[in-house]
Amino acid sequence: MNDIVWLTMRRMRRPLITIILVFSVSVLGMVLIPGHDAQGNAISVGYLDAAYFIAILETSIGFGEIPAGFTGAQRLYVLIILLPNVVAWLYSIGTILSLFIDPQFRSVVERSRFTRRVKDLHEGFFIVCGLGHTGSMVVHALLHRGYRAVVLEQRQDIIYGMLLSDELASVPALAGDVSNRSLLERAGLNHEKCLGIMALTNDDHVNLNIAITCKLLRPGLPVLARSETPRVTANMTSFGTDYVIDPFAIFAQALFLDFSSPVKYRALDWLTSVPGSDLRELLQPPAGRWLLCGLGRFGSRVAERLDEAAVPYTVIDVHADRVRGRTGAVRGRGTEAQTLIEAGVSEAVGIIACTGDDVDNLSIIMTARDLNPGLSVVARQERNENDLLFNASKANVVARRSVIIARRVLLVATTPLLESFLQHLIRQDESFAQRLTARLQSILNGKAPAIWTVHLEGRLATGLAEAKLEGVSIQLMHLLHHSREDEQQHLPCLCLLLERGASRTFLPEPGHDLHAGDRLLFAGRESAQDEIAWSLSEPGALFGSATGRIMPAGALWRWLRRSSGK
Amino acid sequence: MNLEKVVFAFFIVLALTINFGFFLGGMNDVSSLQPVGLGAALAVSLIATIIKFGDRSQLGAVMLATSLVADLQLVIAALVWGYAAYATELGVTSQVLFGVSSLSGGALLANLVSVTLLVGETLSIRR
Repeated sequence: MNDIVWLTMRRMRRPLITIILVFSVSVLGMVLIPGHDAQGNAISVGYLDAAYFIAILETSIGFGEIPAGFTGAQRLYVLIILLPNVVAWLYSIGTILSLFIDPQFRSVVERSRFTRRVKDLHEGFFIVCGLGHTGSMVVHALLHRGYRAVVLEQRQDIIYGMLLSDELASVPALAGDVSNRSLLERAGLNHEKCLGIMALTNDDHVNLNIAITCKLLRPGLPVLARSETPRVTANMTSFGTDYVIDPFAIFAQALFLDFSSPVKYRALDWLTSVPGSDLRELLQPPAGRWLLCGLGRFGSRVAERLDEAAVPYTVIDVHADRVRGRTGAVRGRGTEAQTLIEAGVSEAVGIIACTGDDVDNLSIIMTARDLNPGLSVVARQERNENDLLFNASKANVVARRSVIIARRVLLVATTPLLESFLQHLIRQDESFAQRLTARLQSILNGKAPAIWTVHLEGRLATGLAEAKLEGVSIQLMHLLHHSREDEQQHLPCLCLLLERGASRTFLPEPGHDLHAGDRLLFAGRESAQDEIAWSLSEPGALFGSATGRIMPAGALWRWLRRSSGK
Repeated sequence: MNLEKVVFAFFIVLALTINFGFFLGGMNDVSSLQPVGLGAALAVSLIATIIKFGDRSQLGAVMLATSLVADLQLVIAALVWGYAAYATELGVTSQVLFGVSSLSGGALLANLVSVTLLVGETLSIRR
């Protein structure tokens, strides 16, 4: 605000001085030259009349000659002062207008408006750096889940484009150098309601910059950074970035799981799908030789995992150095039939097209399917514009970089407990995953579950506290029962994880005790989420669920009961 | 020789001197006060204020403040005089003129402070 006022004042100096000079000289002249009144007597125009006339003249309004028609001398004088006055006025107005159009002025205005909007935020928000496809997906999802977002993006036109969208128009956003410290501070780095910062630009080095800046300035704030190069990833983890998200590694791990343990993969997929979407029944990938086209960053991660899963594969790559040293590898692009035949497409059971070019990948898929219609196809999609094309290609699995990043970011940002659970799931043996899917299947209706966390503190702990006052201990099953119905109806949800301090219980038993401060991870239908929140915040609900009795509500009654002995 | 500084100091000192001339006339004989004098003092005072815009230092802020005080006093004096002359039946009495004179005296003091600050700044730079 201050900046704008000072800028305006500086700019307006010259025009204002011009106006004052011209005005005062004109008024002086008007006063000195004698006029005449209606009868023709010579009078001198007073200061007020002179000032009035000159002001009306200057603003080019022009009412008329006062007090009566002007003498010749007066008219001559007015003729002389007319042009300077009007020009001085237009000069002032022009300066003010040009100030509003001035880019420097406007950027100052935008910056101060952004800072003020961020300061006024009183709900938890995330700072999202980079508003490409990934960034905008993340912001939409955050808004949908009830979080606020603050956006920093390098390109000005993307920021302007936000105004066109209904949802994004109210998100505070600023264009500029995203890794700049002062910009990050304006975006709310030190704000008490900031829940974390997400570095999602497509330049790994910028993300690294952001991560370092935030970790230095505010070590306790969670930082989620996107990185697609192993060197940058190692760098980021070395100074304690909370989550480094490498879409290629994530996809490769999922693929590995799919090959090595389809049961676990199914459980993982169910828990990480978009809530409410149809649950997919995934087929186990066929055993046999696979073809791997393209050994770049993506392909090499996939190759590592395929080796780990002991899946035989043949590499096809256009770079000689990548092909050298691998037995049976074929040098070529994979888009021509010749290369594919040489690699053995007719005997292969599947092909993974992971070159860096979408058109190449699509071409590989089509050519390969031509040669071997029963091939399983895994495709990598780099650019979001090609969504329809990849859908039409009927590939079994499409690895969409932005989607992978966005989903993982949202997962760790909004439900961090889920990540611990998924890691546990992957490490455990298959029976755990089997149990989990069996229980999930019974409560879900073929739709992917919603995942939510419940932290038993504050408002949500009132039910627990009230029950404890009455000497009743609340267990998990009381929470999972439908408190508002009379008959004992189980809510359609499942408790995945209970975290108390440093200890974690996975798939806790219904008889497990609940204490204040516990963190619970649930998966289930969204209706269950509301019911649980209600029964936690309503004082009598848990008590009634546990004991079947109605809890005395008033303090007086309680005192009476206690004094008369239970 | 910096033209901007010459203009700056010129207008500040001019504002003080014209104001002083007007006030001195009023001290001696109130009926000798001419509106031109007040008009000139007001105009130059406004110009001096505008020149002081845009200086973000502490000294610049105080100088701007003193200029604004002088402007305020002179504007009120002009309004009082104008009101008495055009809007009342009695016209301009010596009481009104005394009021105008005293207001211009207040503006004189503010201009004096402004000039003192200017002198102080100049001397400290010359060191």
